[in-house]
Amino acid sequence: MKLGLVIDLDVCVGCHACAVACKQWNASGITGPLADYNPYGAEPSGVWFNRVRHYEVGEYPTSKTVNFPMSCMHCEDAACVTVCPTGASYKRAEDGIVLVDQDKCMGCNYCAWACPYGARELDRASGTMKKCTLCVDRIYDPALAPEDRQPACVLTCPAHARIFGDFDDPNSAVSNAVRTRGGYALMPELGYSPTNRYLPPRETRAIPTEGLGKPGLKERLKGLVNKVVRR
Amino acid sequence: MQPTFSVIFFTVSSGAGFGLFALLVLADFLKPAGGLGAGQSLVAGALALLLVAGGLVSSLFHLANPRNAWRAFGRFRTSWLSREGVFAMAFFPPALLYTALAGLAPERWVPVRHGVGLLAALLAWLTLFSSGMIYACLKTVRQWHTPLTPVNYLALGHFSGAMLLLPVAQSGGSQADFYRYLALGLLVVAAAFKAASYYRIAGSGASLTLNAATGLIRGQVRLLDAGHTHGTFLTREFGFLLARRHAVWLRAAVFVLGFALPLALLLRTISAPAGAGAAIAGLSTLLGIVAERWLFFAEARHVVNLYHGAQRG
Amino acid sequence: MNAPIQFENHARQEVKYTTCYMCACRCGIRVTLEEGKVRFIQGNRNHPTNQGVLCAKGSAGIMKQYSPARLKKPLMRKPGAERGSGEFVEVEWDEALVMLTSRLGRIRETDPSRLAFFTGRDQMQALTGLWAQQFGTPNWAAHGGFCSVNMAAAGLYSIGFSFWEFGAPDWDHAKYFILWGVAEDHSSNPIKIGLEKLKRRGGKFVTVNPVRTGYSAIADEWVPIRPGTDGLLALSIAHVLLSRELFDWEFLVRYTNAPWLVVQTPGEPGDGLFLRDEAGNPLVWDMEKESLVSGMQAETSPALFGEFAAPDGRPVRTVMSLVAERYLDERYAPASVAEECGVAAGTIERLALEMAQVAFRETVEIETTWTDCYGRKHDRFVGRPVAMYAMRGIAAHSNGFHACRAIHLIQMLLGALDGPGNFRARAPYPKPVPPHQLPENDLSVIRAPSTPLLRPPLGFPTRPEDLVIDAEGNPLRIDKAFSWESPLASHGLMHMVITNAANHDPYALDTLILFMANMAWNSSMNTGSIQDMLRQKDPDEPGEYKIPFLVVVDSYHSETVNFADLVLPDTTYLERHDCISLLDRPISEPDAAADAIRYPVVEPDRDVRPWQEVLVELASRLKFPAFTNADGTRKFRDYQDFVVNYERSPGVGFLAGWRGKNGDKFLKGEPNPKQWEAYIENQSFFAYHWPEHMKYMRFANKDYLETAAEAGFIGRPEPIVMQLYSEPLQKFRLAGQGLYDGPMPKKLTDRERLARYFDPLPIWYAPLEQRRVDKAEYPFYALTQRPMMMYHSWDSQNAWLRQIVSQNRLYMNRAQAERLGLREGDWVWVESHNGRVRCQLGTMEGCQEDTVWTWNAIGKQAGAWGLNPDASEATRGFLLNHLISELLPEKDGERRITNSDPVTGQAAWFDLRVKITKAGPGETGAWPEFTTLRRLPGDDAERPEVLRWDVRGNSEW
Ligand SMILES: Nc1nc2c(c(=O)[nH]1)N[C@H]1C(S)=C(S)[C@@H](COP(=O)(O)OP(=O)(O)OC[C@H]3O[C@@H](n4cnc5c(=O)[nH]c(N)nc54)[C@H](O)[C@@H]3O)O[C@H]1N2
Ligand SMILES: Nc1nc2c(c(=O)[nH]1)N[C@H]1C(S)=C(S)[C@@H](COP(=O)(O)OP(=O)(O)OC[C@H]3O[C@@H](n4cnc5c(=O)[nH]c(N)nc54)[C@H](O)[C@@H]3O)O[C@H]1N2
Ligand code: SF4
Ligand code: SF4
Ligand code: SF4
Ligand code: SF4
Ligand code: SF4
Ligand SMILES: [Mo]
Repeated sequence: MKLGLVIDLDVCVGCHACAVACKQWNASGITGPLADYNPYGAEPSGVWFNRVRHYEVGEYPTSKTVNFPMSCMHCEDAACVTVCPTGASYKRAEDGIVLVDQDKCMGCNYCAWACPYGARELDRASGTMKKCTLCVDRIYDPALAPEDRQPACVLTCPAHARIFGDFDDPNSAVSNAVRTRGGYALMPELGYSPTNRYLPPRETRAIPTEGLGKPGLKERLKGLVNKVVRR
Repeated sequence: MQPTFSVIFFTVSSGAGFGLFALLVLADFLKPAGGLGAGQSLVAGALALLLVAGGLVSSLFHLANPRNAWRAFGRFRTSWLSREGVFAMAFFPPALLYTALAGLAPERWVPVRHGVGLLAALLAWLTLFSSGMIYACLKTVRQWHTPLTPVNYLALGHFSGAMLLLPVAQSGGSQADFYRYLALGLLVVAAAFKAASYYRIAGSGASLTLNAATGLIRGQVRLLDAGHTHGTFLTREFGFLLARRHAVWLRAAVFVLGFALPLALLLRTISAPAGAGAAIAGLSTLLGIVAERWLFFAEARHVVNLYHGAQRG
Repeated sequence: MNAPIQFENHARQEVKYTTCYMCACRCGIRVTLEEGKVRFIQGNRNHPTNQGVLCAKGSAGIMKQYSPARLKKPLMRKPGAERGSGEFVEVEWDEALVMLTSRLGRIRETDPSRLAFFTGRDQMQALTGLWAQQFGTPNWAAHGGFCSVNMAAAGLYSIGFSFWEFGAPDWDHAKYFILWGVAEDHSSNPIKIGLEKLKRRGGKFVTVNPVRTGYSAIADEWVPIRPGTDGLLALSIAHVLLSRELFDWEFLVRYTNAPWLVVQTPGEPGDGLFLRDEAGNPLVWDMEKESLVSGMQAETSPALFGEFAAPDGRPVRTVMSLVAERYLDERYAPASVAEECGVAAGTIERLALEMAQVAFRETVEIETTWTDCYGRKHDRFVGRPVAMYAMRGIAAHSNGFHACRAIHLIQMLLGALDGPGNFRARAPYPKPVPPHQLPENDLSVIRAPSTPLLRPPLGFPTRPEDLVIDAEGNPLRIDKAFSWESPLASHGLMHMVITNAANHDPYALDTLILFMANMAWNSSMNTGSIQDMLRQKDPDEPGEYKIPFLVVVDSYHSETVNFADLVLPDTTYLERHDCISLLDRPISEPDAAADAIRYPVVEPDRDVRPWQEVLVELASRLKFPAFTNADGTRKFRDYQDFVVNYERSPGVGFLAGWRGKNGDKFLKGEPNPKQWEAYIENQSFFAYHWPEHMKYMRFANKDYLETAAEAGFIGRPEPIVMQLYSEPLQKFRLAGQGLYDGPMPKKLTDRERLARYFDPLPIWYAPLEQRRVDKAEYPFYALTQRPMMMYHSWDSQNAWLRQIVSQNRLYMNRAQAERLGLREGDWVWVESHNGRVRCQLGTMEGCQEDTVWTWNAIGKQAGAWGLNPDASEATRGFLLNHLISELLPEKDGERRITNSDPVTGQAAWFDLRVKITKAGPGETGAWPEFTTLRRLPGDDAERPEVLRWDVRGNSEW
């Protein structure tokens, strides 16, 4: 299996629900807690697995705003795993999920250096590196209803802009979306073979407007013959 | 990246230590001008070991969870950081033995001494090479991702080693010209490679843009909002931006302190060996290399900065 | 090897379903608890509103539930301490209730209107409104007046439902969707769910908004309109449609008052009113019978256009003729309005034609037999799939009421209302236009001590006689709602309460209760002077304040709590019983009438009580008739008992589900003692799914109208005729022109405003404040937008959400900024006629050139909301509110007039114009600065340097 996410940039409104739902689930999850520094003070910050950024493409007045959630791509050639000296960073053979074993990590930041997508963040309180786990503790949990065995960010996304599935299965929702919508990877030239894909904004549909109605009502108003409409 | 003192000290001191030791072993083989005396070998060897050890200890300081540091050797198969650790550890026993033999029993077990010496020198080179490769293997930092990086580590290691070996060689009253020419040679090599890497960085090169990083191609992409008001681990770890004017000034310092001044002083010591020329040159070299290493980290532009609005990698 | 993955220990967990209240969208939530603490909040998959999704706020409920800002115990202002000093003493609930009951009792026994009870976005108006009515004071409203009453009033006076809370786009069938001035709105999750459906099915999404963020970010076409000109754009679109005869003849004739005849006797009483028969039915000209017939009668063929003569010879014209004559005028041609709206003429033309193309040539058909109210059988619903939605970008202007009516005019011309693919009503709407509910205006009843009002405090006036004024025409309400200054203020004018009370104009109050509203900060205009007014002493009553007694009911340490004389701490939404009733703002969707409850899923660890319980307690102690048995004993044990047993009309209570003795009746039925349990068993919500044939055209759908009448949604099962032309408005205009045989305003200003702004057909006029401010000196429009991840001032206390936005910048068009020599991050002075603020500039492409905007309500007063005084909300965040005045700039000889819509009293937040200059060197940090709030007594909550929240307890707490 090759599990990952597809993010639909055509409908993502940048509401940060995915980022907060992820923080909520994982705060008490398998690598929890996730430190929040200075939470009620001058400059709050903390450990997040998923961050939503907002970009603009082009110039006024034809600019397009694009909201851009990013979390771990669960790359096939994950340099973050190969560079890790302790073996804390590992990629599961059965489904490709990249994880950090909190008991082994020495907090050297090297894997974060190796990650082009900014998907790893050091938790200064535990001294260990933390990252998106693709909600591995949800998607296989037999006690959850099948439709709930989804990542927290996918379940909560109000714009249904996040799809989770197996990219090895050609008929999966993720594969179909990538095929039909031209899903693309970020910075493929770096050679990480990131699994997650992004769907580009859809083309706008042109609406024909020729030969509509009868012009010149103003001039014809005086002698207009009413259409008979029975009530 | 915000260069931290512990990282700079670690790489500069261990680099010099490995360089010094390798040259010491070479000198033992080639015996230039009769080679070094036992006392000199002992001092040089001990200094090298001290520098390497000091460097390794300091590398623990920037670990957020040092209690797992012992695991750092586990991934030798894939991680240059592991390899550096393994080679560095493997270097110590033969290096200690060599220094002891060279310093305390220069006449006995010469083949053994040469054997362990060569082994230690080999491990020193491998460690230096690994140190360079730790950075060179990262596709995320364009400025580092080049063979020149390990080459620079080796060149600067040996150059700084040579500059430390020179005063030791001079001290015993024996002929030190070989060591002056050795230092000069290594200076020129190191300077050449450094110039090459700065030239490479200055060249535009195929750096990634924000358009490429986001895959949005319909127009120029600009950051509207990073999604957090204050900094994050990513902005703190990778967001340090060295202004271009500082970079130029610092590069000048690297070349003046690291190469030009030592070159002048070395040439003077050749014509007038007395005086503290070599020591000053050594000190100047160290300062130059510290500046080089600071600049090495400060000029690194991690590709993730694109997502925070940098237009080019 | 690596440790195996640990799943959740479900044995230690419990799941409960309730309703989110991190905002007023009221999504259904599935709360997983572990040892009584909240482990995870997710959307309830089966809930009609959010169908399993949650937004960022909903997902951050944990950090609100365990926020250090939570109030712990009732507080009294320390004797001798000044109001606003923030010096309090803790008091017991019993002591507080005894004191409050006696004070309220004294007011009620003397002059009930000396109590003003105003609430924020509390979704409990059915209870608070009833409470105020039973107390006997007209001075009650929620805060719709400064929120979006323009959308509610324009909708309910035009089409019988409204963009505001009573209607929703038909996302499953729409093919073209125009969004006017919306950043988030109340039904935020449903809109996000809907937009994805629309785009997936190939529909086109057009956004009309000066800023391209949030929903507008994903629009297929962005129309960067100049703020305050949407009405003009809408009327220009109507011009294009009319000029090419692109309107729905059948819809206009059958379902609107387009064919009704209007008397044309300018200068005489009765001018502009409908020609009616003796029975009061409006008359139309029947083309086949060639005679006047009742407009309500079936089997007729009314003329849509034409001029005729009334029996008494007075000339009459059809509404449609008046519409055509007015909007075909060149004034509304795209080329004439392009410059004012900042929208190219070609774009206006194209947008109108695109709508017509989709409406008339891409119809949606639902094959279901249904019968219309004229008895005619149809085998299908034919939908004009052009959906629209609009909110405060339209509402929050002093021309918003007419702008919203202009948008409804387009929908009526296209016949795109309550049909498949367009904008549909949400139960209990549609209702008659306007709803048959008048505000209490009988002075003797209002002044009668200890006597409930006979009518609710709010309503929908249809003529001057319905105003709430005395014989001399002076307002009877403290906020002057339903006075000549704001005749159709159907949601009140909460933004005028403190100003009027402090000026004792129209009269003085004794007690002001503020519930769930932060009126001393982001909910008021002119925040600084509002705080001064709260501190203002009464020269005539030494030691008293102009507003003698201020009660603040809040759950968190807001800026307003700091000014309270009595603080009554409420619970959080996870700790109380609550109901989201069809009698209030429904969570119905077009396809299903729905309501919901909350019940405690977490035990409060503080000495706090739900305000609902306190209201029932006070009502019982004050012996309100509806809460007291004949023998004087209390009728309701508590709030739960009240909700189960109270009936507004026989069989109609606060909750519509599981009524009847054994819970098998829906919408109507006797009280069911086990109703709460039934809701809890059904995941805390009830949804009554309309059968297929009752889902559309409900204003004229026979079966629907009968069911609605049966359920008490409407009085009688009669067709609801949409009003292109509004006779109530014309009556008020006649009063302004001195041509009305009934009450008329005495003051010139009121007469002029009525004559000008009460046009029965939509008009556009430049926003009032903008006509009194020099455009050259103040070149920029200044707006705010809702950030999707925060709710008003509530969420800076949230440790997670705060990391996303804890400072707001003022955004400007990048090229414009460059022209002014300004750059991203510069500190700038922003000045209006009313004040100035200092803040940081942001630049962006997606912002109209003459517009600047910032996120709403991010700036905070230092020390509030459980934050450290150096929090960036206080040191760098700012409120645009300081620049906005609740009064229009003074005009010589004229009394100070509210800065609101002249028809509805809607606060005109977005009429603001400002100038922007770079701050000097060293001038950084937000300004104005306010005093730092003191920590409240009993506030022992931790503010850790590092928070490691984990439900299993090693959280640094
Ligand atoms: N997340 C979140 N959701 C909320 C709230 C919240 O605080 N946070 N508040 C709730 C409340 S109380 C309300 S009233 C609703 C309000 O919800 P919205 O109606 O979305 O109100 P605003 O956020 O004020 O946004 C007004 C929008 O109109 C645009 N605009 C301003 N002036 C004009 C104009 O003249 N013409 C046009 N076409 N557009 C204009 C602004 O750019 C902005 O996008 O949201 C509710 N939902
Ligand atoms: N500049 C500018 N200002 C604006 C607007 C704008 O667009 N621009 N929008 C205006 C609009 S539309 C609105 S609706 C208002 C904001 O509408 P309001 O409803 O006044 O929202 P807040 O001002 O945040 O005040 C709500 C108060 O309720 C408290 N509260 C939260 N939960 C509970 C609870 O469970 N129980 C109780 N008792 N209290 C609770 C909060 O702590 C807070 O103090 O802002 C208005 N102000
Ligand atoms: S929850 Fe969905 S719409 Fe919101 S930011 Fe995340 S991906 Fe985008
Ligand atoms: S996104 Fe980064 S952390 Fe995730 S697998 Fe790829 S390189 Fe590793
Ligand atoms: S921080 Fe942890 S996971 Fe990352 S490379 Fe270092 S030891 Fe490995
Ligand atoms: S898959 Fe799970 S861990 Fe990864 S971003 Fe989504 S919620 Fe977070
Ligand atoms: S929109 Fe968000 S905050 Fe509002 S009720 Fe729904 S989940 Fe809660
Ligand atoms: Mo509002």
